[in-house]
Amino acid sequence: MTAVEALAALEKVFRSSGLDELEVYLKSGRSRRFEIGPQGRIAGSHRERGWAVRAGSRRASLFATGTGVPEAAGPWPRADGAGLRLPSPGPVPPWTAPPGLDAPLAVESEAIGLLEAIERELGRELAGARLLRAVLEDGSSASELASSRGVEGSVRARSAALALEVAGPGAAPARASYLLARRSAGEFHPRTLARRIADRLTVCGQDGEVGRDRGEMLLAPPVATALVRALAPLWVGRGAAAAVAALRDRRGRIGGRALTVIDDGRLAAGLFSAPIDGEGVATREVAIVEEGTFRRPLLSWREAAAGEVAAGCCRRPSWRDLPAPGPTHLYLRPDPAVRAADLLGSIARGFYLLEPLGPARVELARDRFSLPVCGFVLRRGEAAGTLASARLCGGLRALLNGVQATARDLEFQASDGLVGAPSTLVAGLELRPPE
Amino acid sequence: MPFSKLDRPAIARALAQVADREEDIAEVYFERLQEVELPPEDEAPGVRVREEGGFAVRLVRDGLTWLAARDGFAGDDLAGALREVARALPRAAYPVPPLAVGARPAPSTAEELAAFAAGVERRIRERRAGFPLRLRLRAHRRDLQVVGTRLVPGAETERWYSCEAATPWGRHGAVLADLDAAAAERLAEHLVASFRAREAAPPARGRAAVVLAPAAAAVLLHEAVAHALETDSLALGGRPEAAPGVALGSALLNVLDDPATGPAGVRRTTDDEGSPVTRRWLLKAGVVEQPLADLFAARDSAVLAPGAARRADRFSPPAPRSTHLELLAGEGTLGRLLAAAEGGLFFPAATRGSLDPLSGAFSLRLPFGYRVRGGEPAEPVGPSRLTGRVTDLLEGVAAVGGEPERAGAGWCAKGGQRMPVWAKAPAIRLAGLEIGP
Repeated sequence: MTAVEALAALEKVFRSSGLDELEVYLKSGRSRRFEIGPQGRIAGSHRERGWAVRAGSRRASLFATGTGVPEAAGPWPRADGAGLRLPSPGPVPPWTAPPGLDAPLAVESEAIGLLEAIERELGRELAGARLLRAVLEDGSSASELASSRGVEGSVRARSAALALEVAGPGAAPARASYLLARRSAGEFHPRTLARRIADRLTVCGQDGEVGRDRGEMLLAPPVATALVRALAPLWVGRGAAAAVAALRDRRGRIGGRALTVIDDGRLAAGLFSAPIDGEGVATREVAIVEEGTFRRPLLSWREAAAGEVAAGCCRRPSWRDLPAPGPTHLYLRPDPAVRAADLLGSIARGFYLLEPLGPARVELARDRFSLPVCGFVLRRGEAAGTLASARLCGGLRALLNGVQATARDLEFQASDGLVGAPSTLVAGLELRPPE
Repeated sequence: MPFSKLDRPAIARALAQVADREEDIAEVYFERLQEVELPPEDEAPGVRVREEGGFAVRLVRDGLTWLAARDGFAGDDLAGALREVARALPRAAYPVPPLAVGARPAPSTAEELAAFAAGVERRIRERRAGFPLRLRLRAHRRDLQVVGTRLVPGAETERWYSCEAATPWGRHGAVLADLDAAAAERLAEHLVASFRAREAAPPARGRAAVVLAPAAAAVLLHEAVAHALETDSLALGGRPEAAPGVALGSALLNVLDDPATGPAGVRRTTDDEGSPVTRRWLLKAGVVEQPLADLFAARDSAVLAPGAARRADRFSPPAPRSTHLELLAGEGTLGRLLAAAEGGLFFPAATRGSLDPLSGAFSLRLPFGYRVRGGEPAEPVGPSRLTGRVTDLLEGVAAVGGEPERAGAGWCAKGGQRMPVWAKAPAIRLAGLEIGP
């Protein structure tokens, strides 16, 4: 059964109840899941087929989901609460599916081999380091959507996610966890991952602490990404423009020329790239901040007022979820001409901040933020000591204006959508001891 | 009944072809999940019903686990899943029976959720308070049937509720056994108390006597006792079999996990692997007696007993977890505990905690509390955090009250598997622990 066929069958049922707005969403997929950890070696597979129906009138609405395909006979819940409005069809620009959608899913020997290789490489990089738990999920899906307003569309997706929990050597070991996403399992490189993890465990396992200190700071992509993610209220939704207003200077700018923030639902090779979002609205690139000037927030069609730019940005992580507005690929624009090593070499006295040690705390009303981090002390572009734990602190205005340069090594982290940043050189911020 | 038509003997015979070694663990796990959600009034869609069903076939052999999960109940899918986990072609194939599973249970109605929401709001008004409140309520139902190669336990059903209350100063989440007047009263009381404490400053970091009300003690027990004694957590730091006999906390601590005596809607006779549940002493007079174990951990152990396996859904393998914790009552009223904590702090609730099983570092977040003056809760204090090593925390239990109360300890999300956990606990008094913002 297709979404259009399901819609036709259900329209008769819902129209008779006065529910004219109707949308049917179907999704099928298969995935494989591999784990090594305290429960041994686990190899799993999953085939799913689910559906979601939204129906409503101006006065009431309902949402129902289930496995298999929707049956017109129901039973259906009684519509309640607020009314429902669905989007009308609009033009969808030409779309070329990203490569790799048809790549086969990882097989057991390959996947367990990958996880064991990460474990082995980690042991080589840092004696005594342990992989506590590793989970690889590799899956593909196809979804389609049809609505009573004439919206129709389909999307295919393919991704692999790797979750790692690690511990360093010693009786009270440093701990770290990672969630990484790629198109396929073959794109995870055990040695590179092991080096990254070992660097962090080594730094966090030492005694390097900091008093209050300033200086130039190079934020590695995970640290810069944590800040881009934490500043989402400035970029996304109806409240963004008001939040940004307080940060504008006399010329209307909120940051330096190196600050360009983009969300792009059809980012070339982006893991979540699709021609339409979870409501069938065309996706697009939205430049939120361009060279320090705030242009527009990321708004869904429901949030955008007349004359405002709307984007298809309502994602459905699964058929169980309602479409909800949010970033798809939100990122700080990299500079293709700059290597991270160039930025590192340019720092006479400062810090290289390697990884966030927890979530950022942002207080918009008080114009301040704080992010727990670890990294290295830099002197003349070289590591002169470790920084096991510190807080990167400052004002939001100082942070946005302090972005001096970005490198070309853009990396995305799986989060609420994908959020990314390249290595980023900042000034005007402060490091303080951990709380 | 959702699984009344399942041909269990035929499925067991088919499974036995796959699990053909004596030491194999194998089962087919069938589940139906149902959730009815009532969002805040102005949020569309107005009522949300999520239903799903499916099964998973699992085989454990030589420390390796194979799991094949499918949505829906089709015989062909079961045959495919059995083939997928099989390590060799079966000697003789039993035909896989068609999967007739029985009637789909009727969903709960949104009316009971709406009535509860109205009851909470009325009780807030009765307390002469008014504030923006966005209340989201859910009714949950979970039906499951485990079919093993030899053991075919009965079907199990769990029914419970959950709520999320969003206010301008924070969020509060809870799992509820019933949507009765007492639950509405407790929720309203908590929300009003947190409203009145919303601008209170947290206590300065330092050591202080702390009294935890039953709801807060339940969260502490779940994090500090249950998680610490799960065999998969113990395996990270050593051998789970070595845990029994270890003195973990104060001699006042007698802690059990007993899924059979939980709230009426979630009582169990078997766990999610089909093993009978037991009244399991986790701590007896502060000493570890029996960790929480599943078949994977207990199979080759003379010390560990299965019966504590849980799974959030068919896609996840079972793992050892607590279901319903009980802290046996001590003596005295809450008033006596408070009287012995003069100048200290009293916390009616805890939001969440965390335990690092390797280092033993423990943290418990408390959304608000009160200074204790004259044996009574006095001026409020803001969000606080109790920190330390888990052994110090459990050794710091200086008194256990004599009035246990039933409470939902909350949602547990260890290992990405989200499931409700329950507890029955009295208030406790802790001494010499560090508390701060």
